[in-house]
Amino acid sequence: MLKIEGLVKRFGDTIAVAGIDLSISAGSFYGVVGPNGAGKTTTLSMVTGLLRPDAGSVTVHGIDVWSDPVAAKRNMGVLPDRLRLFDRLTGAQLLYYSGALRGLDAQTVATRTADLASAFGFEDALNRLVTDYSAGMSKKIALAAAMIHSPRLLVLDEPFESVDPVSAANITQILRKYVDAGGTVVVSSHSMDLIQRICDDVAVVVHGAILDSGTMDEVRKGKTLEERFVELAGGRTSPEGMEWLSSFSD
Amino acid sequence: MVKQLLRLKLRLMGNAFKRSPWQLVGLILALVYGLSLAFLVVGSLFGLRLAEIPIASTGVTVFGSLLVIGFIVVPLIFGVDDVMDPRKFSLYGLPNSKLASSLAVTALVSVPSVVVTLIALAQIVTWSRGPLAVLLAILGAPIILATCLLCARVFTSIAAFLLSSRRSRDTTGVLGLVLLILVTPVFLLLLNVNWQKDGPAILGNIAAVLSWTPFGAVWAAPADAAFGLTGPALAKELIALATVAILWFAWRYLVQTMLVTQQRQPEARSYRGLGLFATGSSSPTLVVAERSLTYWFRDARYHVSLLVIPVIPFLLMLPLIVVGVPGELLALLPVPVMALFLGWTIHNDVAYDNTAIWLHVASGIRGRADRFGRVIPPLLVGVPLVVVASFICAPLWGDDRILPAMLGTGLGLLLTGLGLSSVMSARFPYPAVRPGDSPFAAPQAVGSASAVIQGFAFLITVILVSPTLYLAFMSLAHPGTFEWQSLGCGIVLGALFLWGGVAWGGHIFDKRSPEILAFSVRN
Repeated sequence: MLKIEGLVKRFGDTIAVAGIDLSISAGSFYGVVGPNGAGKTTTLSMVTGLLRPDAGSVTVHGIDVWSDPVAAKRNMGVLPDRLRLFDRLTGAQLLYYSGALRGLDAQTVATRTADLASAFGFEDALNRLVTDYSAGMSKKIALAAAMIHSPRLLVLDEPFESVDPVSAANITQILRKYVDAGGTVVVSSHSMDLIQRICDDVAVVVHGAILDSGTMDEVRKGKTLEERFVELAGGRTSPEGMEWLSSFSD
Repeated sequence: MVKQLLRLKLRLMGNAFKRSPWQLVGLILALVYGLSLAFLVVGSLFGLRLAEIPIASTGVTVFGSLLVIGFIVVPLIFGVDDVMDPRKFSLYGLPNSKLASSLAVTALVSVPSVVVTLIALAQIVTWSRGPLAVLLAILGAPIILATCLLCARVFTSIAAFLLSSRRSRDTTGVLGLVLLILVTPVFLLLLNVNWQKDGPAILGNIAAVLSWTPFGAVWAAPADAAFGLTGPALAKELIALATVAILWFAWRYLVQTMLVTQQRQPEARSYRGLGLFATGSSSPTLVVAERSLTYWFRDARYHVSLLVIPVIPFLLMLPLIVVGVPGELLALLPVPVMALFLGWTIHNDVAYDNTAIWLHVASGIRGRADRFGRVIPPLLVGVPLVVVASFICAPLWGDDRILPAMLGTGLGLLLTGLGLSSVMSARFPYPAVRPGDSPFAAPQAVGSASAVIQGFAFLITVILVSPTLYLAFMSLAHPGTFEWQSLGCGIVLGALFLWGGVAWGGHIFDKRSPEILAFSVRN
């Protein structure tokens, strides 16, 4: 389904992604976890055709993303992290725009917009400008826009950040159903609990390289994902020399 | 605390230079500009020492009042980005009065304060005529500095505080522009005054009024003393002192309230239905056009471009009227100028989208659809505008036969400009004001690139349209010759360049869309 080989990206002197290989099969709910600045967003941007890699290849459904981008992007739904939306559109307009750019007709967009709005719980907000949305709301509308054309692969960068727990549970359920029907989901997050709960497979990315990947059970090795992650990533410091914090100033 | 805040301000300035050497160039330019302005004024003030008292009094009072008003108006309209906003210190639990005074002192470290200091000192020289005048002038110098800086602090904060919501920011920029347009007739009126004859008297009257206002009192007090009018002089000095006191209390009050007031939440407006998308079109070109047009309606940055276009011809005409160019010749100006600027409006359209352009990249739409969609709104505005303006301007020229040539030039410039813009915005986007910022705010990352690109775009447009222009000039010189050829040439060549520009720009977009996104992420 999704095959990543030897992916490298440098920004000046810093190497953001240092040769990542990954193979994700169809119908997998795949989690990418890593600390801040590990290269998760950079990797996912290169997978979705938003950022040109310095080396390596990405193949979706046998189509190379960087030599035939138009065909490869057709079956991909994307939620980038920290990029703007066309926020002077209302929610309904943004969904229409996203659908129409993907070649959907007006009727289809209308029914899907209604479905997505009730599933994600933003019916009330459809007629407001996206720029007036809260962070969680923007995330939800962007997520809806990513799946409106029913792609085979969803690449979601931090989809649960600042989303309230009820909506997060709804979204998880929707994604689960999508995966059961044969869709593929790749999510990144630094919330280990969440990834452990919802994903079938997982890759641990630190400093632009994959430290471990495989099914959730293989990677966890009987521990929680968080314990295993800390073990792999290292860098836990014991809080020494911070005694002053408990000697309150007044 | 004064020391810490001063150090903070200097550090903030220092770090800005580290970000890009252009910031340093910018500051040096501002400093050179400010200092040369200051020396010009200082020189004039020295010169006024030798002038008669009424002339010196009028000059100093009018100029000084304008200076003070400038410190009020500029922050209000342009919404200066305030690095020392009191709200940034709200979490440190500092005592109000100390914070207010320290922040006021840090305002001393800036180019405007250097300029004002020099001017304030120079007016002492102007009034070195008798003990009381000198005394009042010396007293006046710190009052001038305090008035200007406190005005800037107070009105920057008011702008930041009251106008902080997105919607009000959207409107204030436009408001400023409308104000500017309204002021233009006043300038025209002033232009019609015979300055040689009535100038001094009119200015004298203005100065007499200003001298009793908070703007002019401090500048006028020494003049009255020099006249020997001790009573009015002291009264004006008192007005000046009271002004500073009031500003000071206003500033303290603002700091105090700003620290504990929540930012205003804009009330969200509700729209019905899909707006322009209700046409139900699903061709990418059309939806891009509908999206673009929606932005022309809703985004203040586009409003400004649209509002400026009818104003530019008149701004260009002003100096021409003054030097006495006949009205018929001026009638030739509006159509080509408006067409040129309209064609140019979208030459940086991609940068206006900022990172939202990712949607176009991720959905893999053809570059041609993106390019052509963006061209449609200015076409919809531009073609009727050129036609209507031509029908108005041709009779003003005095010979209706010029109409086809005028239409040809206008349409040629518009279509060619749009074609060129389609290439430029894909190949050479440069930093633009970000969505939601004040349309007059300077983009975060500035460079010399923008000026070069803009000049280049204008030049190329004119070169591409030169055949049409040549035919139009010929028909001006010999009426009844090439008017229709000029129209045909303008439309055919224009359509060709538009088609070519869209195709080429689309090709660039297809090849470079990730680079375009990477560019917008950097800004």
